[in-house]
Amino acid sequence: MEALLQGLPLDYLAACDYAKTGQNWQVFLPAGSLVKAAERLLAADWHLEDIAALDCFEGYVVTYHFAHFDRPGRATLRVVAPHDAPHVPSISSVFQGALWHERETRDFHGVIFDGHPNLIPLLLDPDMADCFPLRKDPKSRVKMREFLEAGQVIYRNPSFTLMTPDAPAESQVSGGTAATA
Amino acid sequence: MTRYADMGQVAGDFYTENFAQTAQEGSLILNLGPQHPSTHGVLRVIVELDGEYVLRADPVLGYLHRMHEKMAEVKTAAQFIPNMGRVDYGHALAWNWAFVGAVEKLAGIEVPERAEYARTITCELNRIASHLLWWGAYLLDLGAFTPIMYAFDDREKILDILQVPTGSRLTYSYFRIGGVAQDLNEDCLSRIRAFIPWMRSRLPMYKDLVSDNIILRKRIEGVGVIEPDQCRRYGATGPVARGSGINFDVRRAEPYSVYPKLDFEIPTSMLMDARGRYDVRMIEIEQSLRIIEQCVEQMPEGDTLVKGAPKPSWKVPKGEAYFAVEGGRGKIGVHVVSDGGKNIYRTKLRAPGFSNLSLFAEVSRGTILADAVAILGSLDLIIPEIDR
Repeated sequence: MEALLQGLPLDYLAACDYAKTGQNWQVFLPAGSLVKAAERLLAADWHLEDIAALDCFEGYVVTYHFAHFDRPGRATLRVVAPHDAPHVPSISSVFQGALWHERETRDFHGVIFDGHPNLIPLLLDPDMADCFPLRKDPKSRVKMREFLEAGQVIYRNPSFTLMTPDAPAESQVSGGTAATA
Repeated sequence: MTRYADMGQVAGDFYTENFAQTAQEGSLILNLGPQHPSTHGVLRVIVELDGEYVLRADPVLGYLHRMHEKMAEVKTAAQFIPNMGRVDYGHALAWNWAFVGAVEKLAGIEVPERAEYARTITCELNRIASHLLWWGAYLLDLGAFTPIMYAFDDREKILDILQVPTGSRLTYSYFRIGGVAQDLNEDCLSRIRAFIPWMRSRLPMYKDLVSDNIILRKRIEGVGVIEPDQCRRYGATGPVARGSGINFDVRRAEPYSVYPKLDFEIPTSMLMDARGRYDVRMIEIEQSLRIIEQCVEQMPEGDTLVKGAPKPSWKVPKGEAYFAVEGGRGKIGVHVVSDGGKNIYRTKLRAPGFSNLSLFAEVSRGTILADAVAILGSLDLIIPEIDR
């Protein structure tokens, strides 16, 4: 995974224990690296399993699961989208399977996928498409490092402290978007 | 973006209008479903036709959407298991397994050996029932009425077997966190033993009467070719991927439970068309029988629920886990993220049919409408699973 993503700006890369969490890699990317990373994963025989958002204190954590057809292994790619402007680039030009997953994520969390050709409601009725049922009440949002697998850190961008247990003030990093909500 | 010449005459809702915006001049826009018999439940497909040819197709989902992922946020883990029986009525036990497996992985719960065998036996029986349901309904789509009568005769026997340990005939909620609800007793096991030769005796007849039938062959051979590369881009799994020559089965690729101990094959087909997917499913019935046969023989004595198994009010420990199983339609994945609270913080359900159906828009392009129906059926759609 390090070799595969070499040269791309990353925030966080860690190896996880597959037996414990079902995933081998935990990667946090800045939104700008996502499409390039997806292209490299496609070229290296990975397929897209699913896309889902997770409403955390720091923002919507858009989670992409990738796996292989011929061997075990799961890579979890994550992009943090701030609550006040949840924009993430669409990877549907690389993995067309993302078309529907991204529409579903927009329905449930209101995350906007820039570059999606047809980001209309998928599962919810168009009349109630802006109710975002899986958004959490701001008070019950939990910080990412509380429950996401930290794994064995291979690389960490010094400015990315969201997964560090004793991060001093995460509001400096995330822009404090959730604190106002 | 070209505007449909007869946009003023487009009658329909938001989706039809959205679809018509990029339609060609002189084409016909047709809504297939949501109550069309070939859409197996309530799937709607908007197609743009030039005569008999499909220029463009776009499935419209959501008619059976129940927001299981929201329900997971307001129920404890144990209370959520019955939901899993209702996601996919065809292969409910695989969904049971995916969810309890994810929770067990997160909590580090070891399942007793006998329970693993009970899970495998019931899950494989359910897989046969699922494939029989697909087989009968698919042939019904293609105009053959009789096969579904035979398929349901056999499927009925499986339901009779499964209703004793599980207590239900369709929407099973048999698995528990740490095991299964009830042991398979001797009576049940002897019925399973008797079922295996019965089902084996039926398969040659199905081959002679249906699989080799010239009308069926003309309908499905060379129809709906899916390239392996398409499977990767769309994340198609299960018989759809195997029918395109991809040797991928979660039971072998990410082994779980007792599958590594069992001797069975993963059928694939290089045909890549509806015929390939048909063949794969028919061989899978035989392979499931092989698995059940071995399991019934090897099943050890012991508990079927781990000692100190979680109570309904049990809180899932903090952390995240992803667990995948092979369902009748492909890879079922459940991702749970728990903050240690009463309910699981976030449960993501990965439905194989969702990814398989998203292929349809691309595959159906340029086919004739009757073939599009044959392609839809060959994907083995269970709409409640896709809509969740």
